[in-house]
Amino acid sequence: MKIKSQSSREYRGKRLQALTVRQARFIDAIGARILPTTDTPGAVEAGAVFCIDRALTGPYPHLLPRYARGLRALDAHAKRQFGAAFEKLNDVQQDAALSHLESGRITELHHGEGFFELLRTHVLEGVFGEPSYGGNRDMIGWKLVGFPGQQWGYPETYINKVVDLSPVTWDGLSKKPGQS
Amino acid sequence: MNGKIADVCIVGVGAVGGILAKQLTTAGLKVVAFERGPALKTAEYAQRDSISYIARPEQLEGVRHEPRIFRTSATQPGNLRYGTSPFNVLGGSMLLWTGQASRFMPGDFKVYSNEVASGLAERAGIDLRGYDVVDWPIGYDDLEPYYERFEWEFGVAGVAGMNPFAGPRQKPYPLPPLKMTARMQLFGEAAKRLGYHPFIGPAAVTSEPYRPPPPYDTRIPERPACVYCGHCNHYGCHVNAKASTLHTAIPVALQTGNLDLRTNCKVANITTDDRGLVTGVKYFDPSGVLQEQQARVVILSAFVFEHVRLLLLSKCNSKHFKSGLANSSGLVGKCFFGHGDMRVYGLFDNFIINGFIGSGAAAMRIDDFNGNNFDHTGLGFIRGGTVGCSGDGTPVSRMDIVPPDVRSWGKEYKEYFMRYYTRTFDVHMAPESLPRRDNCVDLDPHRRDRWGLPLPRVTFAFHENEKRMHLFLADIGERILREAGASKVWTELPRPAPTRQCGGTRMGADAKNSVVNGYCQSHDIPNLFIVGSSVFPTISGYPATATISALAYRTAEYIQRQRDWFH
Repeated sequence: MKIKSQSSREYRGKRLQALTVRQARFIDAIGARILPTTDTPGAVEAGAVFCIDRALTGPYPHLLPRYARGLRALDAHAKRQFGAAFEKLNDVQQDAALSHLESGRITELHHGEGFFELLRTHVLEGVFGEPSYGGNRDMIGWKLVGFPGQQWGYPETYINKVVDLSPVTWDGLSKKPGQS
Repeated sequence: MNGKIADVCIVGVGAVGGILAKQLTTAGLKVVAFERGPALKTAEYAQRDSISYIARPEQLEGVRHEPRIFRTSATQPGNLRYGTSPFNVLGGSMLLWTGQASRFMPGDFKVYSNEVASGLAERAGIDLRGYDVVDWPIGYDDLEPYYERFEWEFGVAGVAGMNPFAGPRQKPYPLPPLKMTARMQLFGEAAKRLGYHPFIGPAAVTSEPYRPPPPYDTRIPERPACVYCGHCNHYGCHVNAKASTLHTAIPVALQTGNLDLRTNCKVANITTDDRGLVTGVKYFDPSGVLQEQQARVVILSAFVFEHVRLLLLSKCNSKHFKSGLANSSGLVGKCFFGHGDMRVYGLFDNFIINGFIGSGAAAMRIDDFNGNNFDHTGLGFIRGGTVGCSGDGTPVSRMDIVPPDVRSWGKEYKEYFMRYYTRTFDVHMAPESLPRRDNCVDLDPHRRDRWGLPLPRVTFAFHENEKRMHLFLADIGERILREAGASKVWTELPRPAPTRQCGGTRMGADAKNSVVNGYCQSHDIPNLFIVGSSVFPTISGYPATATISALAYRTAEYIQRQRDWFH
């Protein structure tokens, strides 16, 4: 029984701690609209959902019921408004449903605009935050915007120059660049 | 020292408490210092980690146990707030500050005389009823030698004489300025073209390796130079280039052998006797057991909220202290205020800024609209604020900064953020607010902290003088960014809660109208001192750190002169 419940938490090759697979897939669908994949990667490729899963396991377990309620309400709204589950809608319909959430028009959900803001913030943290929190895979988010990451420091201040440093993660105070 | 009477008890060991501890132990006094948080190692507070320090600060040790209640009017219940000011660990908020180390200007100490009594407010066209403005009982000249000591012991980088509005100084800054960044260059050039007077803001950040030379305290260990990692404001510094007492004053105080430092100890109460003097403190030890420490002098150096809370919590049935300690004026908790931090954002199509590089405190500023440096006739307000460039930040710090005409998510947002993350900087303004009695701190009647003590409750709103000042300064900021070449500019007005909080135990010459005197000594209780921004009767457009540090040096000197208090 225990083994079964664990394997049922497998999502995209990782085991979820707080979210169900269904919720994770739903959040990925939302993330794909908040920071979409274009000719460059977006929230899905960055693995933002895994950062959210970890946040809901660690510091914010009390937000899990809010996620569950919010996602249910968004899905119900999608079905009512567009005749299908959120994940089945096309991009335009999904954006419209999310706009309704953002503007508080999904009245079945108390403070829906707050839930949208939470989703947006968590997805973007999962793209642009430090990879040690579970998202920003391969520093995708940092490469998108041109942030070289947790550099020890900079040799110059790069005035009106592109910073030609590959992004790095923080790997301990003892390691300066050039040290192994 | 358990069981013995200490010469001095210090409550809170941050910027102020660290300086007091160093000065008093060096003078030979036996000091017991209480810090409610732990002593962190550099690796524990300087991870260059935007999720912990920017996105989730309320989870930090040093923040999560110390919420307060905030509300904008006395009729609301208020909401829980967590802030990194104060940061409740050894070294305090100085571990996470930006490092802006400006002195106040001479006029900042005489707002009542210069701008209220003189009729200037009337000419400006502002009715100041409801405000409660008094002069400081001391002036710039009283603090000048102590500002100097702060600058030379903590290593301030800057260019003396560059700011025409600054007060006179005996000594230059000990360190040359930090490296120029793109935003400093653009801001400085634009401000100059507009006829303003840009200067490099003094920063308590080492531009070179630094150790204080004689005649300053040469026991303070050397600190290496800043590496421009850009993780300054709200972050710990991984190379200790940013000044903090944790790496300067506190180790020196410990070396004297006269400091009994008790971390993870929360002071709950100040004890008193029938004569109306304080006798020590009661505190929760690290295991949560209430203990007592007697002392000849007690100094509060734990920031605004804790000062007010402790004074109000220590009320007792003694005839002296029915409404709290040091409160015969009824002003404990009243006249709370701070800055209304605001920003103007600018996007640049023709210049790469790379705002994530540099020292947060390395900024070009103008004081043309600070204090009383400009003609207020007809403007509808008095006072003003500093205006300077800023815009440091990792993508997590910047991801919510979106122009009003761009949707904050989706393809459009992605394109915006990808294009402009490296091509933006902000003009940051710190408009002061004026004190009022209805802006105050008291005790929440219902909510309590982990020790069972009532939470501090803040009631604060900006009023007419501030609101008009904010709009005026927004216009200045927008003008500078446009002149600098920004293709798009927009303003974010201050949020409801003030930053760089001060007041609550203000100093003054008149005991009926203030809580402490010019030496931060309680008017009512001569062996109780309260040091920090809570004593400010008014503020400048500058942050408080240099000034509270100067007050700490001056108060320590005053206390050590009272030889008959200590046997």
